[in-house]
Amino acid sequence: MADWDPSGSVLAQRRTPVCATTVGAENDTRNDRIRSNEEVLINRILEGEKDLFLELIRPYQRTVYATLISMLGSKEDAEDVTQDVLLKALARLQQFRRESAFGTWLIQIAINEARMRKRKMRHGIMFPLTNGADEDGAYVPKEFADWREIPSEALERSEIREALAKALTLLEEHYRLAFILRDVNELSITETANILGITRGAVKTRLRRARLMLRDILSPGLQQGGQVGLAFKEVRKPWE
Amino acid sequence: MGITCEEVWRDISDYVDDELDPKRRTALEEHFAECRHCAAVLEGTCNVIRLYRDVRVLAPPKGFHDRLHQRLDETLNLGPKERIHTSRRAVLAWGLAAAAAASLGFAIFSAKRTIWPRLEHQNRPGSPDSPAVTGLVAVSQDTDDKVYHVAGCSHLQGKPKFLPVEEAIREGYTSCVYCIGKARPKQKS
Repeated sequence: MADWDPSGSVLAQRRTPVCATTVGAENDTRNDRIRSNEEVLINRILEGEKDLFLELIRPYQRTVYATLISMLGSKEDAEDVTQDVLLKALARLQQFRRESAFGTWLIQIAINEARMRKRKMRHGIMFPLTNGADEDGAYVPKEFADWREIPSEALERSEIREALAKALTLLEEHYRLAFILRDVNELSITETANILGITRGAVKTRLRRARLMLRDILSPGLQQGGQVGLAFKEVRKPWE
Repeated sequence: MGITCEEVWRDISDYVDDELDPKRRTALEEHFAECRHCAAVLEGTCNVIRLYRDVRVLAPPKGFHDRLHQRLDETLNLGPKERIHTSRRAVLAWGLAAAAAASLGFAIFSAKRTIWPRLEHQNRPGSPDSPAVTGLVAVSQDTDDKVYHVAGCSHLQGKPKFLPVEEAIREGYTSCVYCIGKARPKQKS
């Protein structure tokens, strides 16, 4: 473990939203503005300006794709279903009741499509190693080594991106989905709960376990700023 | 230290999400200031979230946007393009149907050329299997030779039974090569 500095990055960040994940007033304002713009776009599309649909969905292409690849596992299937989802959204835009954000509605369609596709394929793509029986139990972290912030440049390395994608597949789907919706798609806990049809408390529990498990999976390879070779394949499963 | 590490681990995710009440939050922060293990867990958790939020992670593959936009373009321009596609599909379908019909016609034509002469041949008078005679023919009641004859044929053995030629053929009788068939023996004058 590296020398620990109590005045280091953790405490330095504590007055700011931790990891910048919290949905603060600034984000609320931004979301309101986005939603308002989307309302205008949707109205114009429904009035016939269908070309604007591309503009409407542009911010959500990655989130829909990320959700689908986390559920389907295959890049080809994820791309295929992403296209289907967006076409379906266009066809059903009239039915969008605007009770939720457009992005949330899209993700709901994506999850339903992915579930249907998986039923059709009738074979498991993910091979989760976690045991979901102990969802409510406390998760004990296994890795306590310091893991300083990974520099952004590290993500230029495809092996790190691949390791991150692969680490997700080691989680059971309900953990994976909660993590994707909240931490990748940046939905609120309430939106995540609504999409998954579970309580906020259940979302928090799944998030906690997903985050800590991912940290345990990834930290042996990514600590020290991602400069070391990935130990992903050799990592001991912390929950075993 | 006010709270234990186990309590911190239970609440650490809520701390990240700012879902804790201020008192609990302060308790965790005091713990982080004193416990390097829990501080490392917090740091790592934040790293995980930060990494996965980066748009380069779980990003669509190369060419994704182009392919998506192409498909959406095709859908959005439903009018003329769709009509063109429909008409192309229709032309293709009609083409295939015409080709199939032509093939079928050729097959029938070939079959007729191949089979019809045989049928003609079979139906030609004198053919062993053809009803070279009409009306009644005679078959033997005493033998099982399954041969039908014209009445009075010297090759008919036993007591004759008369029946229509069509019925005789239907029952498996074949014509007598002497009195009916093409190997009809030379008639004695």
